[in-house]
Amino acid sequence: MQKYSVFSLIKNAFSNHQNWEVAWKDPTPKSEYDVVIIGGGGHGLATAYYLAKEHNIRNVAIIEKGWIGGGNVGRNTTIIRSNFMYDANARFNEFGMDLWRNLSQELNFNVMFSPRGIINLAHSDAQMNAYARRGNSMRLNGIDAKLLDRDEVKKLIPMADFSDEVRFPIFGGLMQPSAGTARHDAVAWGYARQADDMGVDIIQHCEVTGFDVVNGKIKGIRTSRGDIKAKKVGLCVAGSTNILAEKLNMTLPIETHVLQACVSEPVKPLLDGVVTFGAGHFYISQSDKGEMVMGGDLDGYNSYAQRGNLPTIQHVLTGGLALFPFLSRLKMLRTWGGIMDMSMDGSPIIDKTHIEGLYLNCGWCYGGFKSTPVSGWTFAHTIAKDQVHELNSELRLNRFSTGHLLDEKGLGTKTWIG
Amino acid sequence: MSQPFRLNKEGLINRNKKISFTFNGKKLFGYEGDTIASALIANGIHLVGRSFKYHRPRGFFGAGVEEPNAKLQVEFNGHSEPNVNATEMELVEGLSATSQNCWPSVNFDVGAINNFLKMFFPAGFYYKTFMWPKSFWYKIYEPFIRKAAGLGVASIEKDKERYEHKFEYCDLLVTGSGPSGLASAYAAAKNGAKVILAEDKPRFGGTLLTDDVSIDNLSGKDWAEKIITELKSMPNVTVKNRSQVFGYYDHNMLVMFERVSDHLEKKSKFTPRQRLWYIRAKETILSTGSIERPIVFGNNDTPGIFLSAAAKEYMKVYGVLVGKKPLIFTNNDSAYETALEFKKNNVEPIILDTREEHSSELIDEAKSKGIDIRFSHGVIVANGYKKVKSAKIGKLNKDKNSFEKIETVDCDCICVSGFWTPSVHLASQSGNKLKYEEKIDAFIPDKKKQHETSVGAANGSFTLEESLKHGFENGSNLSAKITETKTEISIPNVNEKKYGAHDKFWCMPLPKNENPKRFVDFQNDVSVSDIEIALREGYRSIEHVKRYTTLGMATDQGRTSNLNGLQLVSNIENKIVPEVGHTTFRPPFTPITIGTIVGREVGMEYMPTRKTPMHEWHEKNNAVFVDAGAWKRPRYYKLGSETLFEASKREAKNVRENVGICDVTTLGKIDIKGPDAAEFLNRVYTNAWMKLPVGKARYGLMLREDGIVMDDGTTTRISENHYHMTTTTAQAANVLSHLEYYLQIVWPELNVNVVSTTEQWAGAAIAGPKSRDMLSKLYPDLDVSNEALPFMSYKEAEFFGVPSRIFRISFSGELAYEINVKSDHGMFMWEKMMEVGKDFGNQPYGTEALSTLRIEMGHVAGPELDGRTIPSDVSLNGLVSKKKDFIGKNSLGREAFNVESRQKIVGLIPIDRKSSIPEGSHIVQDQNAKLPNPKLGHVSSSCWSVENNNPFSLAIMKDGKNMIGKKFFAVSPLKNKSIEVEVISSHYVDPEGKRVRS
Amino acid sequence: MLYIKCPYCGLRAQKEFSYGGDATVKRPNINEEVSSEDWDNFVYMRKSPRGKHIELWQHIAGCRQWIKVQRDTATHEIFQTAKVTEEIR
Repeated sequence: MQKYSVFSLIKNAFSNHQNWEVAWKDPTPKSEYDVVIIGGGGHGLATAYYLAKEHNIRNVAIIEKGWIGGGNVGRNTTIIRSNFMYDANARFNEFGMDLWRNLSQELNFNVMFSPRGIINLAHSDAQMNAYARRGNSMRLNGIDAKLLDRDEVKKLIPMADFSDEVRFPIFGGLMQPSAGTARHDAVAWGYARQADDMGVDIIQHCEVTGFDVVNGKIKGIRTSRGDIKAKKVGLCVAGSTNILAEKLNMTLPIETHVLQACVSEPVKPLLDGVVTFGAGHFYISQSDKGEMVMGGDLDGYNSYAQRGNLPTIQHVLTGGLALFPFLSRLKMLRTWGGIMDMSMDGSPIIDKTHIEGLYLNCGWCYGGFKSTPVSGWTFAHTIAKDQVHELNSELRLNRFSTGHLLDEKGLGTKTWIG
Repeated sequence: MSQPFRLNKEGLINRNKKISFTFNGKKLFGYEGDTIASALIANGIHLVGRSFKYHRPRGFFGAGVEEPNAKLQVEFNGHSEPNVNATEMELVEGLSATSQNCWPSVNFDVGAINNFLKMFFPAGFYYKTFMWPKSFWYKIYEPFIRKAAGLGVASIEKDKERYEHKFEYCDLLVTGSGPSGLASAYAAAKNGAKVILAEDKPRFGGTLLTDDVSIDNLSGKDWAEKIITELKSMPNVTVKNRSQVFGYYDHNMLVMFERVSDHLEKKSKFTPRQRLWYIRAKETILSTGSIERPIVFGNNDTPGIFLSAAAKEYMKVYGVLVGKKPLIFTNNDSAYETALEFKKNNVEPIILDTREEHSSELIDEAKSKGIDIRFSHGVIVANGYKKVKSAKIGKLNKDKNSFEKIETVDCDCICVSGFWTPSVHLASQSGNKLKYEEKIDAFIPDKKKQHETSVGAANGSFTLEESLKHGFENGSNLSAKITETKTEISIPNVNEKKYGAHDKFWCMPLPKNENPKRFVDFQNDVSVSDIEIALREGYRSIEHVKRYTTLGMATDQGRTSNLNGLQLVSNIENKIVPEVGHTTFRPPFTPITIGTIVGREVGMEYMPTRKTPMHEWHEKNNAVFVDAGAWKRPRYYKLGSETLFEASKREAKNVRENVGICDVTTLGKIDIKGPDAAEFLNRVYTNAWMKLPVGKARYGLMLREDGIVMDDGTTTRISENHYHMTTTTAQAANVLSHLEYYLQIVWPELNVNVVSTTEQWAGAAIAGPKSRDMLSKLYPDLDVSNEALPFMSYKEAEFFGVPSRIFRISFSGELAYEINVKSDHGMFMWEKMMEVGKDFGNQPYGTEALSTLRIEMGHVAGPELDGRTIPSDVSLNGLVSKKKDFIGKNSLGREAFNVESRQKIVGLIPIDRKSSIPEGSHIVQDQNAKLPNPKLGHVSSSCWSVENNNPFSLAIMKDGKNMIGKKFFAVSPLKNKSIEVEVISSHYVDPEGKRVRS
Repeated sequence: MLYIKCPYCGLRAQKEFSYGGDATVKRPNINEEVSSEDWDNFVYMRKSPRGKHIELWQHIAGCRQWIKVQRDTATHEIFQTAKVTEEIR
């Protein structure tokens, strides 16, 4: 494979960029694979990559209905963090942070991971206490966290509203300095390019129409481009999980909801890190291009439409102005929506299923992007070894019957309440 | 002061009113009715900005929303705003505009070095480099890239302007006041429909203002004026200019933003700057017109290159010439109108037409006027860096892929036309799947998805006659369905020029060995070669092309580039355009200020502020408030220079020793009535409710179905079939909905009604050993003895002449009562209590003291009931009935809830009896253990025990029941604290609960 | 913003309502034995189809009635609304 570097860039410049190779090929599906991963999003592509790299399983196909990276990996607000309270979530994502830190070099594709930090703002002592509980838990898990007082927050984000004319003054915040952002599309493309190079077939515009299950064992899948036999099948289609689950006669503790995000017009750098508002649903960061990337709340009803309605955007931006009054004069450039697998306790599911050879990776709620590498890594392990890894040993489906839930927000089953 | 490019008489500007402004510090003037763009062009200024990536000089390209380049930093009304579209912003006195994205100036921009290095910056170059050494990305490369990116500078000043929202309902919303829009609105109005006509621009009429047509023997402009005047006079019609419908949402909800006052020199204090309209329309006419698309050629981004219709608009609307030596470069007839307009103003254009020599009405007219027309010709490359000086033009061969002849001609502007693209954004947003119309090489709306009907150019009809006809017909038919009235209107006679067919030609080839940049997307600097690279590298889906090259992702959202990009991809991929598909159109149509979207809910108005009836008293008496949801509650009452700690200790101590009163109005209150009320409570709460006598209260615990504690509170039986439930402040709304859910859906057979009475009652708690003495003075005629009014009992009595309710309940763990009076009497009650209480040492106490009191009693609250705890976790399993069923009961049997080492609430005291344990600390065995250090529990609530005069905390601890007497560390790495603690009972004060019963 | 026809109040804007999820979930009867599997299904399993979905909304800023709404989760089109005591098919 062609190696990307400043030297290859210069070399190619002199041949008018005529000699760049394709980043991934466009193969026709074979009749049989060792493993078929359904879903060419970030998690599916990462899973295929780690299957090939960590487990030397290369007879793998990724089946994607549309174009790779077209789902939530290309629609999220690019935040990467491991600031979780529950050990299972914290350790899982902190392992992921280590993968992120080396990802550009490992993939030879600049995914632009930048540890610019995330601040969760608190607007009451009670909230500060809740954040302290989470932050201390992080620290005891070896994850960096800082509790900031009002003055420390002011130093980091002086343009926030520190005036007297504010409904919910900033008390302080919890910061994870090592959290950050990355270039979302690049993550999908980087994994795709390496997976392709190791022999994985990336098959786009191929819709899964059914499954071939015999005596409780998976035998293959049916697609719009013909039947494909497979020894193992991994479902990696957050947002569409329920659609495929229906074809398998499975009901899952997941509801499907739309989450919107929006960006402002680009302006010169103003905000370095990621900030979340504590008295409403709003978070913000500034992209390398200069756009303010903002999001906050689900539209609040089951939806598969990758579009939302304005009142939700209004609600989110109202929180935005309460925090950063300067946003008033910026213009909102674009809004879009993504479809979320909202699990009943807010945490993901990476597990085997009752069907032998069928594996499940779903329930990411609105936090899938940050876990892309570790999700792929653990899912690949789960598929390759036919058993969960210690890292995803608590992210199992049976927790909904045993009661070992991972409810980070304590909101229970009303998934639509952010 | 002269304006070298201003015509003497043409245009719709007000020449009687000069307006001064500055551009990059230079003083200039224009006229009322100018945009910043038209005023600058009149002054001969074309170089206004630099491009995003290569910092190439850029000028104006369009005359409205399609403008990709001319985004300026504009200061007016004392505020600086970035990325203002110069072709849309109207000139106002004193406005000052500056160029963006250039340093030190737009004329000499250091960033332009990128233009010379552009061969190293193809599409996606940043994915391929900046990876070594690893630490350099975040520290060195990225900050540099971030600094170079961005357009204008956001001011961090608070916006002093006012923004408003408005909600409207109408029968027909018409979006755009061009010929088809006017016709639709007029026909619907005549049918009596409630019509809103929205026009984005300041002037109504759309293309009627610039096209050389006549309708019923009136000029287009005069006809538009006539119709608008009539529409404005009709009571059922709202006509709005400077108003853009930018979003088409579900259920025919459209959103419009109105620029109310930016164009005004003076405005009154409460005039909003902009207004957002939520419009629920029964039917919608999309008459949004079309946007001219360019033909792609070398250095086509040079200042002085315009869309041909924009050049015409500058002449006809603003009386401004975009140049005096124009080249008109076209593949269709419409640009001939621009040429004729030049000619009319004594400017000699040269027309380069990519089509072979042929004849049409317009061509013949141009010929007859002596205009130099060169068929089979096109511009290969524009020469000139900061302004077009000349153009290398070529005669195309028959296949239009090479040249028969190349020459250079002088020019000072190039007006380009590559035919027209319908503005289908709103239709697409409504859910309409678009279809590709071969005849016009563009997408038009397909079958309607909501109640949208596209007419005129937005629907691909480019003749006036057709547009008017469709407008009248659709306006009439759609409205007649609603109003059931049909007024016959005769379609007016139209005089317009007939256009010949256009040439399906959109990108000029390059001669051998020449490689100038041919831009598709100006603002994001995406050129033909960038798209070629993306495809070469396998980014073949149109969405991949868009994301890899950033085509169409700039602030103009690709209005002039998307279709050309598509054509290019389909050509290279050997596909037809509809196979390639289009990217999604998303709201807003043009960028909208966030202030407009938010409206009035800013500053203190972010959320309503709920105040209790006693709020003013608290304020006057130095209460420091705390937010409890939307409520304001006194946290403590500050005496002198007291700190929170000192004040709350004083208040809590006074309750333990004397008596205190606390405003508890914010607690949720729900009235429950009906013969089945007891049965209902019995199902809702975990404990038994069937035998509660009238006049008695009981503490109740309710769960969610998943077994997690939802809320707690006391409920009192007021009379046989009437109960009064209290909830926590935070859960009041949720509990009400929860009860309604079960009554309406799960157990409709129960005859029970519930209603919130939170706002009806003002509540005050009287707590402390002297509370009974105080109560007896408040109710001199009532027997308040322990026998007559025991713990958990209830009485109604007059409180100095007003009805009141007395509950003997306690949260503080002291002998206590809670008095409720109607909200209107709240202040009266409070003041009376303060007056009477003097003799007993009464002091008001706030939520902080309340917390202290409940914590040392081991009463649980929000921090313990955090949505993750079950009854036994918080030692409330005594309230869980084994005999009966209730909401959530079945979940309590689950494995995780019954493990031997299940968490449980405990008390903690520091070994040194001095160190306060920070809330949020975790309990560990070994404070120095290596990470991850196993956590045994967390500290949920902490206080300074006023009873024992040392710190005390509640904690939820693994295997809590077996931990009493053991020692651990409560660590807070965030605060760098580790405190050795001893585990004790969570009931630190009066564990037997004697006081409440005393 | 959705436009929801409350069977009691008429067409009202979505912001007057709050959502209540899958309306086909049926709580096991009170005081009756239920298997853990059935119980867990009731607590955690939801229908979440792409297409027609019968769901609950509560008209909280109006009559406070819970209502049933049949809505397309892909297009958000509402086909029918009904009182909770009525059937939607």
